[in-house]
Amino acid sequence: MTLLYGLLVGVIMGVLLQRVRASSPLMIVRNLRFENLSIIKFMALTIAVGAVVAYAISFVVPMHFDVKPVYVLGVLGGGLIFGLGFGLGGYCPGTCVVGAGEGRKDAFFTILGGIVGALVFTLVYGWLEPILIAPMNYGKLTLAGVLHLSALVAAVVLAVVFIGVIAVLPRREAEGE
Amino acid sequence: MSETAVVRPAATERVGQAAPNWVIMGVLFGLLGAAAIALFGPIGVSTTYPRFIGGLMKLLAPGAAATNPYLAKVGGLLKPETMLVIGLFVGGYLARRLSGQRKAPAIEHVHAEETSVGRRYLNAFLGGVFILFGARLAGGCTSGHIISGITQLALSGMLFAVGVFGMGIVTARLMKGGH
Repeated sequence: MTLLYGLLVGVIMGVLLQRVRASSPLMIVRNLRFENLSIIKFMALTIAVGAVVAYAISFVVPMHFDVKPVYVLGVLGGGLIFGLGFGLGGYCPGTCVVGAGEGRKDAFFTILGGIVGALVFTLVYGWLEPILIAPMNYGKLTLAGVLHLSALVAAVVLAVVFIGVIAVLPRREAEGE
Repeated sequence: MSETAVVRPAATERVGQAAPNWVIMGVLFGLLGAAAIALFGPIGVSTTYPRFIGGLMKLLAPGAAATNPYLAKVGGLLKPETMLVIGLFVGGYLARRLSGQRKAPAIEHVHAEETSVGRRYLNAFLGGVFILFGARLAGGCTSGHIISGITQLALSGMLFAVGVFGMGIVTARLMKGGH
């Protein structure tokens, strides 16, 4: 049953990402150049809504939360390497699959590159793990834990901050872009 | 599919009097992310890539597949996340067809140096290599770390986002605009 849920969530997510134009590498790169901010605002709003709703419904629905650990070197280093590829190609591991479904030919090259990148990581994991993943691992820290707030209160704080940032960002996407 | 394909912004992208498109999509995606956590777990995409490699290696080199510590860590393909990735492909196809777009989108040249389709494919390929290597090193991608991670208030997601946007902004700005 969870497999079916996974498929359903994937289809809806694919439609939403295509509709907001996150599967367009040009749109992604324009956001990184601040020529258009719609994807950045979309992501911030998604997180704000998701956080408040997830922790609000957690009082009545059993939730499958799964927080990832903070191993500083690997998480930040991986983010920097990811950012290089993100700026270069304009795709994420998910948006290239959406783009491929749309028929974008370059998206297939990103998927192929992604398989190569994941294969390289699979082969070097054994010696990277003790250098970049095992050290400086502070565990599954959350904003709620660090600030000693209840999760729902922390989610509301985060949502207010994110929506505040969205509100002060210039309306670049209104410029017909 | 000429090399000088200019991509015009779609009409739907123009902001009308109603809420901008990204507002509607952001609210819906936020609700979807919360629903996914209730149904099976946080949305995540990039772990499917090494699981796919594991599946291939089991067929081609079962000995190597059995002894690789990373493949053992990520596990097999029979997971909701695998179905989610298949769903992304279907969703991309459906969204294009439902919006009445019959032809595949033109290849977008995003940097000035992408003067040929080949150069665009090369950047797309290299981009793929870096995003998946980086995502696997960090333990998640835009979906798992940034969207799902920060939704769950995770500091790891925030740290990953700093790296991604820091380097992404620098890279996109150093490579001048094409199109």
